[in-house]
Amino acid sequence: MAERERSRVDSDRAYLWRLHRILALYVAGVLGFLALMTWAEHQGLSRHWIGPIFLFLTVMVYAGIGVYGRTTDPEDYYVAGRRIPPMYNGMATAADWMSAASFISLSGALYLQGFSGTPGQAGGLAYLLGWTGGFCLVAMLIAPHLRAMGLYTIPDFFHVRFGGRWPRVIAALAAVLCSFTYVVAQIYGVGLIASRLTGVQFEIGIMLGLGGVLLCSFLGGMRAITWTQVAQYVVLLLAFMIPVSWLAYKQLGNPLAPLVYGEQIGKIADLEAQLLDSPAEHQVVQAYPQRAKDFEARLQNVEASLAHEREKGRERIRALRAQNADVGLIVAASRELAALPRDANAARERWTREMRENYERARPLGGLPPHSQAYVGDPDGTPEEQRDYELTRRNFLALMFCLMVGTAGLPHLLTRFYTSPSVSAARASVGWSLFFIALLYLSAPALAVLVKFEVMQNLVGSSFEALPTWMAQWSRVDSSLLSLEDVNGDGLIQFGEIRLGADLIMLATPELGGLPYVVSGLVAAGGLAAALSTADGLLLTISNALVRDLYFQDSQRKASPEQRVILSKFALLAVALSAAFVAALKPSEILPMVSASFSLAASAFVPAMVLGIFWRGTTRQGAVAGMLTGLGIAVYYMLSHVPAVQGVLPRWLLADGLWFGIQPISAGVFGVPCGLLVTVVLSWVTRPAPALPRIRSEM
Amino acid sequence: MAGPFPPDLHDVRHLKLKAALLLLWALVSFGATYFARDLQALVIGGWPLGYWIAAQGAVLVFIGIVVVYGWAMNRLERSDGQASQLPSPPPGPSADHPHG
Repeated sequence: MAERERSRVDSDRAYLWRLHRILALYVAGVLGFLALMTWAEHQGLSRHWIGPIFLFLTVMVYAGIGVYGRTTDPEDYYVAGRRIPPMYNGMATAADWMSAASFISLSGALYLQGFSGTPGQAGGLAYLLGWTGGFCLVAMLIAPHLRAMGLYTIPDFFHVRFGGRWPRVIAALAAVLCSFTYVVAQIYGVGLIASRLTGVQFEIGIMLGLGGVLLCSFLGGMRAITWTQVAQYVVLLLAFMIPVSWLAYKQLGNPLAPLVYGEQIGKIADLEAQLLDSPAEHQVVQAYPQRAKDFEARLQNVEASLAHEREKGRERIRALRAQNADVGLIVAASRELAALPRDANAARERWTREMRENYERARPLGGLPPHSQAYVGDPDGTPEEQRDYELTRRNFLALMFCLMVGTAGLPHLLTRFYTSPSVSAARASVGWSLFFIALLYLSAPALAVLVKFEVMQNLVGSSFEALPTWMAQWSRVDSSLLSLEDVNGDGLIQFGEIRLGADLIMLATPELGGLPYVVSGLVAAGGLAAALSTADGLLLTISNALVRDLYFQDSQRKASPEQRVILSKFALLAVALSAAFVAALKPSEILPMVSASFSLAASAFVPAMVLGIFWRGTTRQGAVAGMLTGLGIAVYYMLSHVPAVQGVLPRWLLADGLWFGIQPISAGVFGVPCGLLVTVVLSWVTRPAPALPRIRSEM
Repeated sequence: MAGPFPPDLHDVRHLKLKAALLLLWALVSFGATYFARDLQALVIGGWPLGYWIAAQGAVLVFIGIVVVYGWAMNRLERSDGQASQLPSPPPGPSADHPHG
């Protein structure tokens, strides 16, 4: 016995050392490649090549790992054979966790929203706290207990714990719902980066990235995904740290950005005060209400103004043709005409949005809250200011709550802890995950501060003539990402004239800071790694839920485990294609979409799961009712505030305004307590709970 | 090895540990951000305190909580294992590692 124990420990140690060696070689390889590319850029390698080379090579590396890890063995396919050491599981989880939203949008959101965002759109540091604090819940309440049960998917838990058919079916459907929203956001991110890197169309960019996702997850399931995610983590960490450190070194003479950026916070506050006094900024601020009023006038009679706008566009094209103008001008004019809203409903939606945006920007600092001030408004000010303060704080806390609890309920994250060799290793994995995530998250606010300083100090006040070329390139990809317009006509850039999208700031950082183009390529590759790694994990979760938990759930369908795995693979392909289709419609910014799926996951899973783990008296009926109530309330509250739904359904069916002033994105604030309450009450009504099943446990 | 279902396993000491750490978690995240505006007035080493807690301090405490929990649970489980003279937990599902 002792002999065997010792040989097991020895072989474990040898395995770990082999992994460390491979990791070290891989990191050295990535750094070597970067050095090579920098040298090549010096030697005159064209920028048109650097982007595609990064894109192609990184995707090939991931695909290579995916092919190497291919498997049809169910244990390997679903839970990577349960032998991923904690540190590597932590890296894989971190990559799985940090999605396109974290990598691409988080710094941008911190730039735009400062500490807390506005009453209408809370955010800022709530994202940072929510996405890290949730791991405390995972570590203490969920991960070790799930691992102790030795299952394969999250719906499995509901099946084993509560028995019967419905808990599993509902859990599987909820898993599909929240993961699908999430995966669409990832594929959107992939399309964004691929189209910028290679200059192809957005839709083709999506397809290119999708090929990379599929090669990994299609062939090897969890095993391949785990090792690809480790590789992707290395790329995304380097891609984040190099530009941040560079900017910090440039501005402060110390590359350790998180330690030193406090100094810039004070300087930004001073610059903000200067901008508030600047007369040019005032001119800009006054121009926006005028525009908003134009849109308001159009909204008075949408049909007529739409017809008028169309006629104006046609008139212009005719005039251009008549004077034999440049073809480019005519093409631009007809594109403008084609971009007009298709019907009155679309026009109303778009013009309302633009009116609101213009009103928003009509405030000082382009509508951005002061960077380091906690919450907008003033607790001792006018009633208006007091209300703003109160609402911002409430929404900030609500969003943080939803993100934290949602973290504890997201199926693709929790599945990762099934791959640990033991319960103790599962606990250690959570710690490593949080450590690897924090490495990046502690730098994200630093990046936001450094970029804001760069913009306020260097970009503001420079001339429109000398506008760098990268700005034009980005605004070509999507004008909502970056627009610059000489509103007051003085030829100089004012802070109020710059509009940066949240998704842009990270991707444009290297160019903004004047770094070599290789770093831009690396950042884009990092964003791609973040999006791909999360998409991998999500697609696997969705396809497993569909095939394992919905199709085969009653185990009457006869199929060998290998056949099930093959079926899962095809479900994965179908899901990936439909997600790509939805993403090609360019839904909206990444961050709000992702936050919505956190609220859904929090409301659907967490109440029933935590009660199921800690309270023996939870019954099947209680769990089913709690999950349905939580999910139902969250979905209802969110849909009630979607304009498209408001147009279709009668008013009395929908929620009446905002409840307690909470934004729809934080619907989990209502879903979670209602789910808890219903589960407890119904479990008590249907008591006693049936005898608990005896299952394998290693705890 | 068939074991009891998780709800039976909750040792009172484990629950106390969790409760204490969760309290700390709630204080650092919800408590500190609720009073962020008041904490902002304190500036330590160039950092407004409210901002520093939300941007860095809380995350560091979260890491601390998870690490302490893992360490304490391992200790508790080891001492329980010795006390009941049970053999160490069973080995993982397999000991061969055919891939890297």
